[in-house]
Amino acid sequence: MKTYSYPRSQEIFRRASKVIPSGIYGHLGPSQGCFIPVQAYPFFAERAKGAYFWDVDGNRFIDYMCAYGPNVLGYNDPDVDEAVSKQMAIGNCTTLPTTKMIELAELLVDTVASADWAFFAKNGGDVTSFALMTARAATNRPKVILFQGGYHGVAPWAQKLGYPGITAADTENNIYVHWNNYEEIEAAVRDNPGQIACLMATPYHHPIFEDNQLPAEGFWAKVRKLCTDNGIVLAIDDVRCGFRLDNRGSDYYYGFKADLICFCKALANGWNVSALCGTDSLKEAASAVMYTGSYWLSSAPFAAAIATVAKLRELDGAKLMLAQGKKLTEGLQEIGRAYGFDLRISGEPSMWFMRIANDDNLLLHQEWIAECVLRGAFFTNHHNLFINCAISDEDIKQTFVIAEDAFRTVKERHPEIL
Amino acid sequence: MADEKVKACINLHAVLRNLEDLCELDPMSREIIQGKNVALKFSMAGIPKSVITFAEGKCTAVKDDGPCSINLFFSSPQNFNLMIEGKKNPIPTRGFRHIGFLKNEFTKLADRLSYYLKPTAELLGDKEYARINTILTAYTAFFAIPEIANWDPLGQLNASRIADGAINVEVVDGPAICITAKGGRLETSKGKIANARAFMVFDSIDTASGILNGTLDSYSCIGEGRLSISGFVPMIDNLNKILAQVPGYLM
Repeated sequence: MKTYSYPRSQEIFRRASKVIPSGIYGHLGPSQGCFIPVQAYPFFAERAKGAYFWDVDGNRFIDYMCAYGPNVLGYNDPDVDEAVSKQMAIGNCTTLPTTKMIELAELLVDTVASADWAFFAKNGGDVTSFALMTARAATNRPKVILFQGGYHGVAPWAQKLGYPGITAADTENNIYVHWNNYEEIEAAVRDNPGQIACLMATPYHHPIFEDNQLPAEGFWAKVRKLCTDNGIVLAIDDVRCGFRLDNRGSDYYYGFKADLICFCKALANGWNVSALCGTDSLKEAASAVMYTGSYWLSSAPFAAAIATVAKLRELDGAKLMLAQGKKLTEGLQEIGRAYGFDLRISGEPSMWFMRIANDDNLLLHQEWIAECVLRGAFFTNHHNLFINCAISDEDIKQTFVIAEDAFRTVKERHPEIL
Repeated sequence: MADEKVKACINLHAVLRNLEDLCELDPMSREIIQGKNVALKFSMAGIPKSVITFAEGKCTAVKDDGPCSINLFFSSPQNFNLMIEGKKNPIPTRGFRHIGFLKNEFTKLADRLSYYLKPTAELLGDKEYARINTILTAYTAFFAIPEIANWDPLGQLNASRIADGAINVEVVDGPAICITAKGGRLETSKGKIANARAFMVFDSIDTASGILNGTLDSYSCIGEGRLSISGFVPMIDNLNKILAQVPGYLM
């Protein structure tokens, strides 16, 4: 199979490095994005449509990162883009909000099972921080229980002591526990009476580099009861999973009810809006917190979110993505097995995590992923992947062809291991 | 503010340790120790001792409490750090007859070490100087890592996040270092090992020199393929956070 090359990407990266820290900073960059080896990856996209993006060298990729989640219907979805165009024609960032904000809040209250209200911002981290502040305002307590390896954005409280720019004061109210360890949570609550404002968690555990873990049987029911009994706000960070497990919220999917729930990525198919939804009992606390931003009430992203949520409901998008993810991951595992690879799949199929487990240092996995990227299936080697509603059976079939050629190539290089 | 104890550990086990490599890499230093047969022990309360031996034209630095011909005892880490900064003279508690070595040869070696570890743009223009500077700077930085990991509170925190196993750090056609993590404690050794779990590779001595001397941005180098990382990357992420603390102790 022909493999890609990226001379233009590399040339542009050198230009970027002169004026931008890291060239490309953050999770889309070669460093945090774990482009291993960097020569196997494109750096810059030129355009995108549906399930694909094209890089600046003209290579097409079936995109299983979906911009790390936002692409949920397919890039440039015509219904979403039409809604945005219509709104842009009449106003976007204005002195007063438009009624689009209310329409979106009404739609979310109608869609998300636990929501009585909705508050909007821009990024996932905006609303996880707001959830924590709302919980503190409601309870007059300082502390938060978090899970080791969980990710709730890049605000100082959400990072770790010892990381650049983080001080002890930033994290002193954090209590860390291990996923699915109910006894540890119970002990943390017992040891900090009247101190814990919030327990914040993703609906299931999806750290990077590690197998993802679903909630154990009965885990959420016990945690829900513990929070209720102790006046602790249960905040679900549904930024990554939201609308990929169930349109009604991932708490609903796992059979419990959150007090607060954060959405972002899949909410507006790439347009910049995030939302915190909550129950009536926390509405006044949310009102009391001073929290706003220059673009948070802009109307075009609201229009995009309305069109996205409406279309996800119409398509039953979460069900569709779970089914496509299952088809894809089962096929990849089977092909890998035929070549001697132990490809482990974890998490939910619409945003699965995978790793080759034949070695303990991920080298084989990194090689295989690089070979897939070089053939046009864009995966990352460290993070969960994403399905979107535009991924077709044909795309999955083509991904199998790519994956098989990549497995064959890696196996030929490592006859001693495989 | 740099903790004096951690700083003393770094000065002893990372900076002074370099005498071993200096005497191998620098012809002038090799010449200075010719025919010498002296073992210097550096002792301070609460800090692992070090014995630096000069014998048969070679120098070896060992983190140990072995036999010595001169014992240099420091009443506090601060006093040792002042000696390293040239503000205090060492006083032997044993081996007075070797005081001449301390005053002459050892002082000259310290000056040579300082010459290589404090580069100027002009000096770095000399290829051989740059090569030796890079090797010694790299050894200083990577041998400082366990000291920070084992003694500094933030270093301990980041070290506790490093999974057990080995990280190979290597310069293509150049030196290699291995950092081994076990139960949150780190150890550095020269050379790479088989079965490492994570890998950091500089494509040339020039790249290593640029990154270590702050003239190249390591993130851009990753993007350009001049510095590659692979394997279980979280080990390197957390190691780099400790590495970033090193300059704070060497200032």
